[in-house]
Amino acid sequence: MRAYLVKRATFGVLTLFIASLLIFSLLRVVPGGPVDALIEEEWDDPVLRAQLRHELGLDLPLHLQYARWLGNILHGDLGVSIVLYQGEPVGKILLARLAVTAQLALLSLSIALLVSFPAGIVSALWRDRLPDHLLRLLALGGVSTPNFFLGIALIVVFGVGLRRGWGVGGYIPFGEDPWGWLLHLLLPAVVLGTDHAATISRMLRASMLEALGRGHVLTAKAMGLPRGDLLIRDVLRTAMVPVVTVIGNSAGALLDGAVITEVLFRLPGLGSLLVQGVYARDLPVVQAVVVVAVGIRVAVNLVVDLTYGFLDPRIRYGGNGR
Amino acid sequence: MSPLLRVEGLVTRFYTDEGVVKAVDGSFFHLGADEALGVVGESGSGKTVTALSIMRLIENPGRIESGRILFNGEDLLRKSEREMRRIRGKEISMVFQDSLSSLNPTLTVGAQIARVLRYHTRLSRRARWRRAVELLAAVGIPEPAKRASHYPHQLSGGMRQRALIAMAISCDPKLLILDEPTTALDVTIEAQIFELIRDLKARLGMGVFLITHDLSVVASFCQRVIIMYAGKIVEEADIHELYVNPLHPYTRGLLRSIPPLEGEAERLESIPGEVPDLINLPPGCNFGPRCDLADERCREVEPELVEVSPGHRVACLKVGAPTMGGGNG
Amino acid sequence: MTREIQRGEYELGAHRTLLQEFWRNFRRNKLSLIGGVIVLFYAFLAVFAPLLAPYDPIEQFDAPRGMRNPMPPLSRDVDGRLFLLGTDKFGRDILSRAIYGTRTLLQVAVGSISIAMLIGITMGAVAGYKAGTWVDELLMRAVDIMLSFPSLVLAIALVGAFGIGKIKIGPIVLSNIVKIMLVIAITYSPRFARVMRAVVLQEMAKDYVAAAKISGASSARILLAEILPNAIPPIIVQASLMMATTVLTTSSLSFLGLGLQPPRPSLGLMLNEARDFLFWGAWWYVVVPGGLITLAILGFNLLGDGLRDALDPRQARRRR
Repeated sequence: MRAYLVKRATFGVLTLFIASLLIFSLLRVVPGGPVDALIEEEWDDPVLRAQLRHELGLDLPLHLQYARWLGNILHGDLGVSIVLYQGEPVGKILLARLAVTAQLALLSLSIALLVSFPAGIVSALWRDRLPDHLLRLLALGGVSTPNFFLGIALIVVFGVGLRRGWGVGGYIPFGEDPWGWLLHLLLPAVVLGTDHAATISRMLRASMLEALGRGHVLTAKAMGLPRGDLLIRDVLRTAMVPVVTVIGNSAGALLDGAVITEVLFRLPGLGSLLVQGVYARDLPVVQAVVVVAVGIRVAVNLVVDLTYGFLDPRIRYGGNGR
Repeated sequence: MSPLLRVEGLVTRFYTDEGVVKAVDGSFFHLGADEALGVVGESGSGKTVTALSIMRLIENPGRIESGRILFNGEDLLRKSEREMRRIRGKEISMVFQDSLSSLNPTLTVGAQIARVLRYHTRLSRRARWRRAVELLAAVGIPEPAKRASHYPHQLSGGMRQRALIAMAISCDPKLLILDEPTTALDVTIEAQIFELIRDLKARLGMGVFLITHDLSVVASFCQRVIIMYAGKIVEEADIHELYVNPLHPYTRGLLRSIPPLEGEAERLESIPGEVPDLINLPPGCNFGPRCDLADERCREVEPELVEVSPGHRVACLKVGAPTMGGGNG
Repeated sequence: MTREIQRGEYELGAHRTLLQEFWRNFRRNKLSLIGGVIVLFYAFLAVFAPLLAPYDPIEQFDAPRGMRNPMPPLSRDVDGRLFLLGTDKFGRDILSRAIYGTRTLLQVAVGSISIAMLIGITMGAVAGYKAGTWVDELLMRAVDIMLSFPSLVLAIALVGAFGIGKIKIGPIVLSNIVKIMLVIAITYSPRFARVMRAVVLQEMAKDYVAAAKISGASSARILLAEILPNAIPPIIVQASLMMATTVLTTSSLSFLGLGLQPPRPSLGLMLNEARDFLFWGAWWYVVVPGGLITLAILGFNLLGDGLRDALDPRQARRRR
């Protein structure tokens, strides 16, 4: 297990490295770039351009630019924002934004888990009966409704219909007003959570149904074990691996949903920063956000791998399974 | 004395999309407190469904339609689910065929045995673990204390089957149902497992209900045998009687398909044709379409199980007819 | 003898039976039929958009006195033209924009899925055929790395790299719509590569491929003639499910203002514009594009699930 984890971690770091290289070159190979964004059309002249490129270090060969960037990152310096927050260090901006996104992510994941587990379990145990049909229909709706549509609908209901201040978005720091903080994060978290709850409950149902058909469940029944013990130790526990995979995918891709919800609800998080960065062609900001996104993915995957080992001794002891 | 188990007119059906599967269609048999009864038949003949019906483990879309299952004189079909849970694992236990999938992969074998003890005994946590180790020793697992904390995938197939048996006998059941307990194992291990079961049966004094498709296994282990075909019992007899005087054409076919222990195996035969579709059973005798002796009447009249000599019952219209005189040579 | 002949006939009929069995399985699941109908409805909308749309989607109409755009459903403009689903903020007909928006959405989705399939299938086929070699290793590691990007983040970053709107790379000018197709195709091609590689690996282990190899068929021939036909079912399933994802990603990009650009009618963009009019109670402005996107995703999801279940009954039984 340890060797396996070390291998996975190494691969994760490598992924992060290559992904950063990839995004770094992509953002630079294509012409235009930040210089276009910085120069107003009437001021456009080659000398100014060249000067700007030099100041931004864009005139160096690509590999040198990357080496410099990577070296700076290892010293904790992510560069400075070129356009968006001119001159501000990206690291500082990123940290503040990351905090907001992390709060949103945790809240939405909690909502997703709180909703999806009961739903998936009820669906599997009452298979093909009314509760199952209703829950599956709901899950299907949840999977199919785009975040932005659900978000707008919630804004219409709470912000416009009920005239709640928190119903239209915005962010209040926890330190200022804990209750307001929660209310303002609630709707975006529900939007994000719905999406994941639907996916997780569908997988949980399918995986539980498969587990219910396994031999050891029949054995446990034949041994007269009570239903609760059977459900937890024979069904849920052995059904958990694919569910954890899905939860991991959801958590790893949280930034995908965060982009939409943060823009829609005007939250100052990483997602809205990415969109602003792209609009402004602020390269250091865009590449930093993307690298953080991949970093989150890699970290989540590692946690998922650890969880597999905890859930399934066949993985933990590297037996013949898997 | 009334037998340990008496099954009367058991009918179990499965209501599938394709139609109604008549998995067990009117079974009558009994099993003594110290007896080993073999049930032989091809897959789909209703052996396992019979066993699961006894355990009351038939699930949707299956249903036990009618009949009585008397265990120690009490009808199991009238018990509540709660009462049944107290009987399963304690009074009646079952060992399934595939030991790898029959054990929970996420629990150590010791923990799985201790878990059964937790619900059927008043032993303390520690005592349960000690008992689990004792049980593993009793089924012949070397280094039981160490093996108890191993996971199923870390044990060999034979050892897993032993662990499964240890779990099944952990509460001294009065009836042990074995569903093809050795199919996944090689011949040497198979012999060892049966040696173990024989030994346990003698020590614990329990009734054994052995399901198999292999008559030779039954011959070495059981006193009496039931032959099932397409959901029905077609013949029942003492094992000796069955070998000497098999009456049902299907039984004869089965006996012919056993390789002889000595001499050449060239007369080995298999029964032509396939097990009938349990949704659309033929009219008359279920075995009719595969039977050499079948005539018009066999295709119209369903044969009843009748006692032809003490303890020997057979369901065939042709029994007693002149062609049925001799044994199998 | 008779039995053998019967078996022979069965083999001959096997192909037809397979299709029939597929249809039987597919039909049994009502939800997948609904999905099929929804997808057909969208195809119809997209193909006949010019005939179905009552007005030019970018023509602006003036509201009559006492009213202003956006106007609610069943309103009329100064000249008495009827707008079934109302108008948008510039006085354009919502119905026509929705129909054309649907057309564009499907164009982008189909276009990007086709490109993604082309890239992905090629990568997957080569990797699978060269399984165990450095080529395979390289391709699959590349796929792993691509998949480590959250997909919308990657798409946005790619838009960031290419720039918003149409782009010039040297002498080549790519229209905005083609650029978006490329962005989404790059984002999703790794998933097709994985499916394809798995299929190739599975088929390579079978006897007929070995036979073809022994008889001296070239690699390309084996891949194209022997293996590709077997890859079609899983690829179709993947494509249908990916259509749902692509519709979502495309409209998300447009919603963020990073996808299709005005005045081109786009459902995501319509929703974005509508946000400013929520307090006017302009619900039609939101419901029409939002509902159309949702229904499309639902349809492709249902169809994809149904196809998967029908093409792989064993897996379906586990799932159901």
